[in-house]
Amino acid sequence: MLVLEHLVKDYPGGIRALEDVSIEVRDGEFLVLIGLSGSGKSTLLRCINRLVEPSGGRILLDDLDITAARASDLRKIRRSIGMIFQQFNLVRRSSVLTNVLTGRLGYVSQWQGLLAHFGEEDYRRALINLERVGLRERAHQRADRLSGGQQQRVAIARALMQEPKIMLADEPVASLDPATSHSVLKYLQQINREGMTVICSLHYLSLARTYGTRVIALKAGRLMFDGKPSEIDADRFRSIYGEEAVEVEIE
Amino acid sequence: MATTLGQAPPSGPPRTELGGSARAALARRENTRTRILRVVVLLVAVAVLVRGWMVTEIDLGKLTNAPNAAPILKALVQPDVAARDVTQVELQLPFVVGAGSTGPAVVSDQSGQTLRVDPGSASPGQAITFDGSGFAADADGQLRIQNPSRGLDALFTRVHTDGKGAFHEVRVWPDYNTLPPDVYQFRLILNAPTGSVHLSETLISSLGRMGETILLALMGTVFGVVFSVPLSFLGARNLMGGSPIGRAIYGLVRLVFTITRSIEVLILGVIMVVIVGIGSYAGVLAIVVHSIGSLGKLYSEAIEGIEPGPVEAITATGADRLSTVVYGVVPQVIPTFLAVTIYWWDHNVRMSTVLGLVGGGGIGFLLIQYMNLLQFNQAATVLWMIVIVVTAMDYASAAIRSRLV
Repeated sequence: MLVLEHLVKDYPGGIRALEDVSIEVRDGEFLVLIGLSGSGKSTLLRCINRLVEPSGGRILLDDLDITAARASDLRKIRRSIGMIFQQFNLVRRSSVLTNVLTGRLGYVSQWQGLLAHFGEEDYRRALINLERVGLRERAHQRADRLSGGQQQRVAIARALMQEPKIMLADEPVASLDPATSHSVLKYLQQINREGMTVICSLHYLSLARTYGTRVIALKAGRLMFDGKPSEIDADRFRSIYGEEAVEVEIE
Repeated sequence: MATTLGQAPPSGPPRTELGGSARAALARRENTRTRILRVVVLLVAVAVLVRGWMVTEIDLGKLTNAPNAAPILKALVQPDVAARDVTQVELQLPFVVGAGSTGPAVVSDQSGQTLRVDPGSASPGQAITFDGSGFAADADGQLRIQNPSRGLDALFTRVHTDGKGAFHEVRVWPDYNTLPPDVYQFRLILNAPTGSVHLSETLISSLGRMGETILLALMGTVFGVVFSVPLSFLGARNLMGGSPIGRAIYGLVRLVFTITRSIEVLILGVIMVVIVGIGSYAGVLAIVVHSIGSLGKLYSEAIEGIEPGPVEAITATGADRLSTVVYGVVPQVIPTFLAVTIYWWDHNVRMSTVLGLVGGGGIGFLLIQYMNLLQFNQAATVLWMIVIVVTAMDYASAAIRSRLV
């Protein structure tokens, strides 16, 4: 179980990105974060693996205090939390296989990583994970040869290498077309059904309704809504996105 | 009223609008101020230029001395690139000064090369004819006059054979003060071009020196790279900005880059010659030190220009700092690093061509030597070689770089 207690984040310059956010995420949930750009979704996700240092509050993963972890413990915590990004964040010039193998860097010792000595087992695992996202035969291509959707699937395979308990997804389909978006989200859904907790920020409410088991809405860093996707009616929608917003369906 | 620390907020919206007349007055004042400022800037600029003209002693009149450079410019058109072997021919002929026979004196060798002096003796003021025949065409030589007992061996006249291998010179005999009555000996030494045309000594030695120059630049670049690549990661703000210690190291490394870069290669060359003596080694050291600063800065900027996304993603997997750099940063910067390195080798070849001027080895050494001896044709050979090699390197490095980036 992942618990966020009174989480606060202030950026330099006095910008408060998160204001006293408390959430409990139960194992196996597909939690969707919605909210306008700048509402704090990315900051919230990045606080969980401390890519962004929280300014206040606590984050507990199975009773382990992430916010208090030292560098070496933090590395161990991070490897149990996978993450994928809007821009995929693959190393473009490296091969698909190398990109997937980097997901294992939390496990290899420093010198192994330096000498590019991933073990036999790591290679086997990388190919299995590529198989899971349907890109086994692309293993030896350069990452930038792949389409956006394929790159995001490679990113999922990279995160799976960590054997994480939780998968964070920061706007994973915001750079993709609708059809590809569904394909990527279906992979996340499949991983979720196999038992992994998924926390995913999305722009489109329709996608949140389709894939989320629970929806959380942020507005200006505050928690606005926490409940089932079906509970978001027109009033709630306007309170989250503003009076002038119109819902756009994504097929 | 009691003292209040806080001030009341200004009432109403901030005043952004002024009345029409006030705005016009402000515009006028702005206008006058801008105008005054403009005049001041102009005056300062003129003053600086005038001072500069005086300090640098610019004197357009001196440009009329341009013809002084004619020997050098002429030499540029005639670089010393080709030569022919020469065969030396010698003939000796006794000659009496004062009373003596009046008939011509003649000497020949087996191959029919003949020197004829008419008359065979001379007194001051008399015209003497020197005729040569049967020699190789286009040969240069000297006619020397000798007298071992007087310790005399002097050049009497220079000769040059025509297309048929003959020469004809007439000289008026000098007075007795110069050549007292005695028996002398004429000695003709002719250098005849024989054999085929081949590369000149100058060209061969400058080719060797040019090879040395390119290797000097290569060694300087290689060691510059060896030192600057690791430093460049420590001098990249995006990698070092995280902690106070990191920022301190970053600042220090950047300071080292700035200092080594600010000293010109020639000055470094002078310093290195003092340390390790004249030669290419000093040149290599000068280039290494200068390259550390410049390459380091270029590399660091390449690192600062990477996409942060992959680094963030790899950090999120739990990778340590070093692995993150190896897998997230290095693949992104490799093409730029290669391009920068090739460009810098090209740049260093250019630098190496002048390092010889201060004793740093390479082709510059040859150049300054020829210039000091006023051997302008030889100097021209060196200059042309520098032009050709530098241009070729420039094109080659541009071509390679365009494929990389």
